[in-house]
Amino acid sequence: MGLEILQGITSIILILGVSPLFAGLVNKQKALLTGRIGAPVLQPYYDLQKLIKKETINSQSSSFISRISPVVNFVSLIITAAILPVGFWKPLISFNGDIILFAYILGLARFFQILAAMDIGSSFEGMGAAREATFALFAEPIFFFTIGSISFISGYTSLFEIYHSIQLDNIYYLVFILICSISMFVLAVTECSRMPIDDPNTHLELTMIHEVMILDNSGVDLFLYQYSSYLKLFIYTILEIAFFYPFSKESYLFGIIIFFVGIIVLSFILGIVETITSRYRMKNIPQYLLFATAIGILNLLIFTFSK
Amino acid sequence: MFGFFIFILLPLLIAGLCYFIKDLKIQYIISLIVATFHLCLSLFVFVGIYNPQLPTFFSIDSLSKFFIIILSNVYFWVVLVSFSFLKRSVIPKAEHGKKYYFTLLNFYLTANSAAMLSNHFGMYWVAAEATTLSVAPLIYYYRNEESLEAMWKYLFLVSVGIAFAFIGILFLTLSANGTVLEGKQLFYWEFINDAKQLNPIWLKASFIFIFVGLSTKIGIAPMHSGDVDATSNAPSPIAALMSGSLRLTSLIGVMRIFQIISFSSSFEFARLLIIIGAVLSLFVAFVFMFKVNNYKRMLAYSSVEHLGLITLGLGIGGLAFVGALYHAVYNSITKIILFLMAGNIHYHFKSREVDKVRNVLNFLPKTGWLFLLAYLAISGIPPFGIFFSEIKIFGGILFSDKPFLLVVVMFFLLFIFVNMGKIIFTMLYKKSENENRDSQIEQFELTHFIAIALFILLTVISVVSPDILYQNIVNITIDFGIKL
Amino acid sequence: MENVLSILFCLSLFYVAVTSRVKEYVTILRFQGIILTISSIIPIFYHFSFLGLILPTTLLLVKVYLIPRYINKVILDLDIKRYIETTIQQMVFMPIVILSMIIIFLVSSILAHNTELNVIPFASGFSAILVGIYIIMFRKKLIVHVCGFLILENGIFLFGTAVASELPMMIEIGILLDVFVVVFLMGIALNRIRSTFEGFEVSHLGRLKD
Repeated sequence: MGLEILQGITSIILILGVSPLFAGLVNKQKALLTGRIGAPVLQPYYDLQKLIKKETINSQSSSFISRISPVVNFVSLIITAAILPVGFWKPLISFNGDIILFAYILGLARFFQILAAMDIGSSFEGMGAAREATFALFAEPIFFFTIGSISFISGYTSLFEIYHSIQLDNIYYLVFILICSISMFVLAVTECSRMPIDDPNTHLELTMIHEVMILDNSGVDLFLYQYSSYLKLFIYTILEIAFFYPFSKESYLFGIIIFFVGIIVLSFILGIVETITSRYRMKNIPQYLLFATAIGILNLLIFTFSK
Repeated sequence: MFGFFIFILLPLLIAGLCYFIKDLKIQYIISLIVATFHLCLSLFVFVGIYNPQLPTFFSIDSLSKFFIIILSNVYFWVVLVSFSFLKRSVIPKAEHGKKYYFTLLNFYLTANSAAMLSNHFGMYWVAAEATTLSVAPLIYYYRNEESLEAMWKYLFLVSVGIAFAFIGILFLTLSANGTVLEGKQLFYWEFINDAKQLNPIWLKASFIFIFVGLSTKIGIAPMHSGDVDATSNAPSPIAALMSGSLRLTSLIGVMRIFQIISFSSSFEFARLLIIIGAVLSLFVAFVFMFKVNNYKRMLAYSSVEHLGLITLGLGIGGLAFVGALYHAVYNSITKIILFLMAGNIHYHFKSREVDKVRNVLNFLPKTGWLFLLAYLAISGIPPFGIFFSEIKIFGGILFSDKPFLLVVVMFFLLFIFVNMGKIIFTMLYKKSENENRDSQIEQFELTHFIAIALFILLTVISVVSPDILYQNIVNITIDFGIKL
Repeated sequence: MENVLSILFCLSLFYVAVTSRVKEYVTILRFQGIILTISSIIPIFYHFSFLGLILPTTLLLVKVYLIPRYINKVILDLDIKRYIETTIQQMVFMPIVILSMIIIFLVSSILAHNTELNVIPFASGFSAILVGIYIIMFRKKLIVHVCGFLILENGIFLFGTAVASELPMMIEIGILLDVFVVVFLMGIALNRIRSTFEGFEVSHLGRLKD
């Protein structure tokens, strides 16, 4: 029992520590692919360190929401990280039905972020909030159909149980993983505001979605928001890698190798996708998301009716 | 083997030959010879003098004998009129297309004979698709915008319809799973004999798909639009060919699947579906006849109406079934006359619109009188055949289990008759305000000769009513399991 | 293995529903041709026969090489604009496709209790037929109608392999013949349309209305 708690705490600390590294890796990949040298891989750590020292200013017309929102954001993401299984270790929070908690804690974080953006009082952030709310609407079914179909196959509803109880004796699972990971990737890109949904580097009114919501924050608030976005990206990465956990049943070493190789490969893929694709027009984004939803539904249908 | 050669292989060879021969007159003479052989052979087969042996996918039974003589008849007269039709002048772009005319006609004969004579669903399907492909470029004869659009719509809609019919054939294969017929080829007679064992769900689904798919080609509502557009924009011999024989090609497909179903338990369902389709096409013809202002389109809707009557007779069964078969014969002959006369009017007045055509009886007296007579024939005036067949159909409806249909049908037919008459009498009798047409005396052309010959043929068949025809039709009804 | 191929086939259908470029239709036709070729090669691994090789080679030649190349040539000749215009809102198409696919899968699984059939290729083929019909109904460009018709034929083929285990060779060759000749005639027709009309949209074909 004590060992499990220790494992759980270690996995949270691991996630908290490694997430800025992952973001730095992705940025480095993007730079290398476009022929630049780019910032060092540890740059996000330096950014966060810089931000803590700065002064926190809030707009005069803002209310208590602006003060509590960054903290709520950060804490929700830590709780989410506590539900996530890392390798063989059982996460701190794990019970039947925790996938729903997972989805809606993330939803809570997004909800507060949108509220805070509107609370600032500038229409700029309000525009970002409206866009974010619309795309989150389309992204939610993706999560439920994808995770739902995999929980339907395995028969459990807890994230840890799902990924560690799948037997690998049919080839369908491989195809299934491939297809599910595609729709999960689309979801990750949407939730973490990456290309082709949103450009994290741009600050033009025409194209910003996520960046615009945190435009007016500074100091510790910005530190919390940035850290939350790094955390979110890493959480989704681990969710993608989790599809390959059943392969690591063979040996412990295999599991660790899969973990690290998975992180590097995913950062590579994300870097390539961000470099190659241009951002979709706003009115095409719902279709793109519906495509991922359709994939999820197709999986569900096929595995329901192939009995 | 001789029969197979004459029916199917010879026209194919002649089609290839006509592609290489440049002179139109030689092509015409060769095609005419082939058509004569075809007609003679089908006459011999019908009468029973000659019983050919055909290879595996073809066979002759009473239904195919019946339909192939209709086809030969229509084809012969159409080829006869073709040369004088081709001599008429058209826009220069269309002159270029005249040299493919006979090639395509012969290819059409091959494909259609193969479809009528086949006894395998797959063979029938390939042949039906081939008839579509051979007729479509012929629709484009005049090379103007409307005919292009008509050809496109026809080709597209009928191809989609035939793809649907293919799905229906696949369902038929599926219905044979688990029975004696499993894994066997799709020969008609094997299916008919074992029809009770077929899986009813798949049989019904197969019937729906085949009926809906082929009804694009038959011209039954609600899938009639491609066919109506094509018939109204095609040159008149081709329109006559389509109305007379092409619709019957797809009708034979529906009749075969209907034959299979009539020996199984889903018979009532199929019957209901056919009756609904037929009444719907009568309704469509009724509605559109009010506002049509193109006389060839009026004739196309008249085709829809008469095919609707034939299908209704098929569905009701009994005496109406016999009447429907007679109606097929008479309808095809009368339609040739109608379309040829309409073609004459089109050539002289240069327009298909009713508003532009006036006072035909004065300018084209022979055409005008023959057109009037043909209109009366198609509406059911004795002694022309349609009267007798319609009496049989109506009698069949009256004594069946749905006599209320008779009221509906006669109501529609009355208004169709009135509207057609209104249009035709306007065209024939009404004088126009500015009569600036040069009044040449009309020559007695080949079209008039053919029309008079066809009238005589029609009267002879309907009045004399040869016993062979009656016997053949009785055989067909026995095949379908209908008790007279 | 057929199930995996059917899944990929369905994914290509979703992609067709979402895309808004004309050239992507040709790519999807190629992709579907490759899937059908692979699915017809599979029986050969069980018992090899030269006769069984005719079908995959014909499929490969016609569906993967000739027809897409021909349509590309037509697109180039006619200088068709890149963008597909639709008759309904672009956003509505995808949910319609998803909904019909769900209904088809449900219906085919109900039917599977009665007869023995391979549910997933059956339902995929049928949904391809439906998607082909939707494309014909809901798109304006004529060349896209032709592509929709070809998707319909692909669906019929997939459906045929699921339904009859020993489909007679003649029917399959009949399908190929049909597709081949139809595409040629459509190409010729479109060529004439180019020289007669100004546009290639269904809205221009309104002359024959009553």
